[in-house]
Amino acid sequence: MEQRTPTLRSVAWLWFAIAVAVLVIGFRQAIFLAPTDAAQGDIFRVFYYHVPIAMLSLLFPYVNFIASLVYLFWRSRDPLKALTADAMALASAEVTIIYTTICLVTGSIWGRAAWGIWWAWDERITSVFLLWLLYVSYLMLRRFSSTGQTQTLAAVLSVFAAVDVPIVYMSIRWWRTQHPAPVFFGGPDSGMAPAMLPAFFWNLAGWAIWGIFILIFRFALERRRQLAEQDAALQAIEASLEIPR
Amino acid sequence: MTWHSFFSLSTMESRHLLAAYAVVLVIQIGYLWRIVSQWRHTKAPRN
Repeated sequence: MEQRTPTLRSVAWLWFAIAVAVLVIGFRQAIFLAPTDAAQGDIFRVFYYHVPIAMLSLLFPYVNFIASLVYLFWRSRDPLKALTADAMALASAEVTIIYTTICLVTGSIWGRAAWGIWWAWDERITSVFLLWLLYVSYLMLRRFSSTGQTQTLAAVLSVFAAVDVPIVYMSIRWWRTQHPAPVFFGGPDSGMAPAMLPAFFWNLAGWAIWGIFILIFRFALERRRQLAEQDAALQAIEASLEIPR
Repeated sequence: MTWHSFFSLSTMESRHLLAAYAVVLVIQIGYLWRIVSQWRHTKAPRN
């Protein structure tokens, strides 16, 4: 344990440095090297952050979903393993909210400049807002529920919340929306000009590496809390067993 | 685009572009700061 901690810390710092380096390259590509969009002008450069983060905001809910299923599987069989899965579920729910919030806010800022409106209740934007609300509800439930079954209730809610993810993904394919058509995998008319692709992929890689970093860091924090609580409980038991002289 | 035009606030497009990038960085760095702060205030478990 004593040897593992410095190694893990070195890996964490290296991962963080790689994330920052890739994000710096992505920023340079997006702002200085990618060509100006012929139709939208420079406001199109918002997409180099908005689209990768929006795509990633649909992946983190699945980490939460899988961790919640693992929690439900282990909760009566092996409570210690279940606690680890619960820590990952909590961490991924928070990261989902971070990415979804950025997706909604940057989309709104772009929409005001491009459409003249901050918000439209179309199928894509509404379903992303619903996803955000579901994960906010998840965290609220965990924070304020006073039952002894909070983690189980949260895990069940997360299974339902994951149902919204494919609806978000398909919304601009099923319905004609105010939101632009899919950039990728949207049929023959979708895609991005080849000169714009490096900016997009550097930022996708950068925000993915960053997202994994904050996810694991948040998970490690939650594990640290859980272990500190277990330590405190053990100390209380030890103290209660001491025979007074 | 240059640094000068990126920080130019002369048009709504340039203001919104700067705002979008700033929002992303503030939210991400703010969240990381929160985790670091809580990490420092959480007692390390006994080995």
